[in-house]
Amino acid sequence: MTIYLVIPLLLAIALLQATIVPHLAIWGVFPDLPLIIVASWGLLRGPREGLTWGFVAGIAVDLFAGAPFGAATLSLTVIGLLSGLGATSALRARLILPMAFVFLATVLYDMLFLLMVLISGQFVPWVENLLRIILPSAVLNALLTPVFIELLRIIHQRLGREEMEL
Amino acid sequence: MSRDRLQNLIPVLLIVAALVGFVLHQTGVLAPVEGLLVRVTVPFQEGATAITTWFGELGQTARDLRDLRQRNEALEEENAGLLLELVRLKEVEAEAVLMRDLLNFAQANPSFDILGAHVVGRVIGRDPSNLQRYITLDVGLEEGIAENMPVVTDRGLVGRVREVGPGWSRVLLTIDASSSVSALTQSTRASGIVQGQADGSLLMHSILQNDTVSVGDTVFTSGLGGNFPRQIPIGQITGVDRQDWELYQSATVQPTVDFEHLEAVLVITGFEPIEEDTSPEAEE
Repeated sequence: MTIYLVIPLLLAIALLQATIVPHLAIWGVFPDLPLIIVASWGLLRGPREGLTWGFVAGIAVDLFAGAPFGAATLSLTVIGLLSGLGATSALRARLILPMAFVFLATVLYDMLFLLMVLISGQFVPWVENLLRIILPSAVLNALLTPVFIELLRIIHQRLGREEMEL
Repeated sequence: MSRDRLQNLIPVLLIVAALVGFVLHQTGVLAPVEGLLVRVTVPFQEGATAITTWFGELGQTARDLRDLRQRNEALEEENAGLLLELVRLKEVEAEAVLMRDLLNFAQANPSFDILGAHVVGRVIGRDPSNLQRYITLDVGLEEGIAENMPVVTDRGLVGRVREVGPGWSRVLLTIDASSSVSALTQSTRASGIVQGQADGSLLMHSILQNDTVSVGDTVFTSGLGGNFPRQIPIGQITGVDRQDWELYQSATVQPTVDFEHLEAVLVITGFEPIEEDTSPEAEE
């Protein structure tokens, strides 16, 4: 898949995340589509594409976020890379493993994100955020992962081993 | 009398008969005969009239059907237009109510130099992260917006501008965990810091143990610290947590502003906030 297609696609997903998704809150949190998609794509396609998708999606999210610019970019790039490194056939084959991976990825992503917010000088209530936001959000993202990974698997299978053109 | 002569006489005879009949009718002699004839002919007349009416109505129905169809189409079109107009008027009405409330607030607070701003659609202006609570406004540098300007609605404090660009600005909501505001309770004048919580609620902390804090009391901005003007409503106290061994007491505060349904806000441009560290420790 060419980068010229990846950029508008991930921009559209970030736009969706900043418009409609906040209204779909469950347990006081809403799903993190860019995170689920980056982690799932990395698991399916490997580190190179995971990294690129994480970087592009991160910039797109930062465009719409109030947090310091770069917080989402850095955090999502790390998640993309890690998910790409974890792209084994065992992880791809079963649904429970990607779900567990996305659960952990959400916790890591949010922690990295808050660390960046903290570095920028803002106050961060770690424990409250962990209990009230991060963990419920991780559960929600994990539960939604099968839907997205199966959709992305279709694209992945059509693309085959084709490398992303930069 | 030949046949031809008889035929020539018929018209004359008929005319004469008609004249005789007329005279007899005028004199009333023919009335019983006329009555009998009418009685015999009435059912036929009625039948014929019914058939004629039926055919006439059939034709009329076909015409009516065509007319009705055309009229129905026109009415449906008109109805669709009216529905759209109704929706538009309801929107205008809702906006007018909103603007009137904001205007009332502006008039009630003449000391604030207030600039009206629309949130860039409720759906456009939300933060994509669960961890941050920002909204985006459709006013920015060109409209005179600057960082740290307070943002309010007629119902109370919304937050303050944290980032500005040409035609847009981002507002950190008071319910964000990194937001803190110096506050006072209305009836007992107890002072404290109102801080956003991770779940989007508000907590008023750092209230002295000796101060009286009661459920239902309204919390206002105190103006201390120089970040916000005085006396802007923040919320209402819904619970008090007071422990004897603690230095301070705290209270949960229900915001007066409905942050989930923000449509339009006011940016107070005339107020000059004091630049300082935004951390709660710094504000305290």
